[in-house]
Amino acid sequence: MALMKREEWEGLVRDVDWTLSYADDDAVFPEWQSGTGKIPRGAWSAWEESYKISYPEYVSVQAEKEAAAFAVKAALQRSTIFSSLDEGWKSCAKLHFGAVSLAEYTAFMAEARMARFGLAGPWRNMAVLGALDEIRHCQLSLFFAHEFVSKDPQYDWALKAFHTNDWAIVSARSLFDAMMVAGNVVDTAIQLPLVFETGFTNLQFVGLASDALASGDINFANMISSVQTDEARHAQQGGPTLELLMKHDPVRAQWIVDKMFWLSARVFAVLTGPAMDYYTPLDHRKQSYKEFMEEWIIGQFIRTLQDHGLKKPWYWDEFIEGLDIWHHSLHLGVWFWRQTVWWKPQAGVSKAERNWLNTKYPKWEDIYGPIWDQIIANVNCGNMQATRPDTVPWLCNACHLPLCTYTSSPDGKYRVRDFPLTHNNYTYHFCSKVCRQIWWEDRDMLHVRTIGERLLAGEIQPSDLSGVLQYMGLTPEVMGDDAYGYKWATDYRELLGPESSQPRPNSVGGGEGIPSEALSIPINAKFGDDFVMHVVVVNTSDTMAEVAQRVAYHSVGKRVRSQDRDMVVYYEGRAVADNESVSQVGIGPFQQIFVDYASDSRKGR
Amino acid sequence: MSTSSGTIPRRRTWSNFGDVRRMPSEYEIVTHATNWTVRKDRVSALEVNPTSPANLWFLTFRDRSPLQVGDWNRFRDPDEVTYRRYVTMQDEQETVVASLLDEYANAGHDTTHSPEWRACLAKLFAPTRYSSHAMQMAYSYLAHMAPSSYISNCAAFAAADMLRRVSLVAYRTRELQKTWPMEGFGMAERAIWEKDPDWQETRRALELSLVAYDWAESFCAINLVLRPSIEEVLNRQLGDLARRNGDEQAWLLLSSLSLDSERCSRWSAALAKFAIDERPGNRDVFERWIAKWVPRAESAVAGLAILIGGLARNAVPQSEIVSGARSKRESLLRLAGIL
Repeated sequence: MALMKREEWEGLVRDVDWTLSYADDDAVFPEWQSGTGKIPRGAWSAWEESYKISYPEYVSVQAEKEAAAFAVKAALQRSTIFSSLDEGWKSCAKLHFGAVSLAEYTAFMAEARMARFGLAGPWRNMAVLGALDEIRHCQLSLFFAHEFVSKDPQYDWALKAFHTNDWAIVSARSLFDAMMVAGNVVDTAIQLPLVFETGFTNLQFVGLASDALASGDINFANMISSVQTDEARHAQQGGPTLELLMKHDPVRAQWIVDKMFWLSARVFAVLTGPAMDYYTPLDHRKQSYKEFMEEWIIGQFIRTLQDHGLKKPWYWDEFIEGLDIWHHSLHLGVWFWRQTVWWKPQAGVSKAERNWLNTKYPKWEDIYGPIWDQIIANVNCGNMQATRPDTVPWLCNACHLPLCTYTSSPDGKYRVRDFPLTHNNYTYHFCSKVCRQIWWEDRDMLHVRTIGERLLAGEIQPSDLSGVLQYMGLTPEVMGDDAYGYKWATDYRELLGPESSQPRPNSVGGGEGIPSEALSIPINAKFGDDFVMHVVVVNTSDTMAEVAQRVAYHSVGKRVRSQDRDMVVYYEGRAVADNESVSQVGIGPFQQIFVDYASDSRKGR
Repeated sequence: MSTSSGTIPRRRTWSNFGDVRRMPSEYEIVTHATNWTVRKDRVSALEVNPTSPANLWFLTFRDRSPLQVGDWNRFRDPDEVTYRRYVTMQDEQETVVASLLDEYANAGHDTTHSPEWRACLAKLFAPTRYSSHAMQMAYSYLAHMAPSSYISNCAAFAAADMLRRVSLVAYRTRELQKTWPMEGFGMAERAIWEKDPDWQETRRALELSLVAYDWAESFCAINLVLRPSIEEVLNRQLGDLARRNGDEQAWLLLSSLSLDSERCSRWSAALAKFAIDERPGNRDVFERWIAKWVPRAESAVAGLAILIGGLARNAVPQSEIVSGARSKRESLLRLAGIL
């Protein structure tokens, strides 16, 4: 005789549900935690995982994996690989460690919640192993990152990042908390294992592993490849849960999938997009971010939708359009506000890199080329102050990322737009119609102040960029700077030298000339074709000419080329006379204006 | 970290440890402060609406628990279990278990059991997959609600230990069913768990523990009171009884499972002791909960003692079973500094 096969006895391990008598079923499985909704309680007995594994098999396989991962680490311990790694690639790793290590732990909390509140015994069992997996991923990431803390203090953010209010972290935390812990476990099972782990983690783990290997970071590739093998298993908890939901409440299923796919895609555009298309050294890039998204996310996602009888999300065209836009805009934002991140963003726009970008993204040059040209000009003439911000971007109330999404207009031009929503006499701002709709439907959960709103509410002191940096937890030795010390800009020295001497229109300073507090109000403003909307403080007595100067201060000469033309303020779609004041026009706090050079946009924006 | 000269010394470990003199261990490096929902200076646990149900739940049942200490991240598991250590250790145990299962199966061990002992296995051992699953759920709750990753990880490993127990009981149940198909193995456990009068107090205590939503009460109920009491009967005493009835295999398997119980007891006592050392007022908090849960544990044990007494002629007297469970629990509470 030999040991029985798992198939002979696993049925009993799965058969652990009973009828409660001494505590109410509703008390043991509260609806907001268990989330059965329209799924009848009895229907949960049909829940069946597609991939089965027993406890002894689990510890055996995982002990081997751990031994293998640590053996590679030990073998490389004394190697000089770290010192030879490209600074751009190191930024990929630092970004990953900071944004992922503790997110794994929140995924552990999600698994533990499913192990407690899931309505099917086999699901609860599987979630226990899922919870162990997530502890593993957190611990593996931390242990690997810790080795480099003594060499580079930015690696400290592998643990520290999620303890701070860094803007990228607030965005990621709002996504992960909503996805993993804040809702009921049925929603969680679809949002985390199904939408996120079968899709987006592929992007991070498979995509980055491939770039890591190409960049010579064997240790990193080894670590994340090992992690991915677990994801593939525990991600399968989503399927049977979605099947039940599709049978009994397909509208809810569609909404959960649509919502979480969009919000995940937004955050990955800042966490993964720049790493793939700008930080990874050009020679080592396997695919562009867009190509990876098309192969690993869109293909997979469409299959998931088809397998479960779901429709394409209502926003599909906007999402596809965003593959050419989102991460480029966000990269530009990260680079410009580089003091606010814990890695060294590599600009990634040397001539060779720019050629690559234009090959992969045909619209890139038209949209982003002029902005980078202005930045390059400033770098080349040593006007470094102009390559740094004096204010903060306006952040989306749903995804907490800057309002910097270009969308196409009927005239074929791409423009950054704001999508406001006034509710209870307060104006919220969104990067897209989709974020606005998601927030509106789920505002009871998603409603949390952006960093910009915290600044304007006086929660951040001093209420300037230095206060914001302190609030974000950034210390001087960690604040990001250009990965290559701006050397890449020398590529352009002979081309753009004269342009760099253009003066900035700072006769009214954006920072130094802020009016007295009693009369000052914050507005959401954008200048011309700049890529982002800013928080700008104006005085209610300011004329529109002065307002234009205040707004221009943050863009013109920094990212928008200065022109010898008048400027016009647009409010609620119409041009406003230069001599009218803010109060006469009726511009209130948190409202939005555009400013542009006159000849370019009298048509209205 | 700046020195008086203004230079920044090379960092040796996570800044989150503060100004540490000693290099943290691997256990500490991978366990420390990994739960961001308990970070300092937060408005709410989660970065979502502060008045959403989840935030209010964490506020009510974790952040405002009667059991308070200044910094839960100062607690350490005496066994310093990391994920790597856990799977390595349990893989070794499961290798031992697998060889035991193989060896006794080859020897036709199950054919040797007396009808009386088979009834014991059917009514006392096989139904424990339900009681263990209830504890698995309770540990899973503790794992996501505890105020420090040092505690949560211990609870997660305890939940996994319970899955280990359920798995082993399921394996043996199926094996016994194959040898003795007409004796209810694999068929009757749920009915016994739900209906047998002598199991009901155990079920009552465990079901009620699932609605003890304050994280610390849940810890107190399961770790300090119910598990040590119930497992003393269903692991150690049942193991001894197995040995007296010629079932060395059951004794050996239950002994292996007892290693998990002992590890759990070590961190549970250490955690309670840490809480009292940090804030002596926590002793009163524990005492109140213990006064609430001990009668439930005693009723559960009394029921199981009756069951054992009715099934096995060579069982120890019921009073000894009850006092054995009490003594086990009290020794744990003494280690914890509560008694």
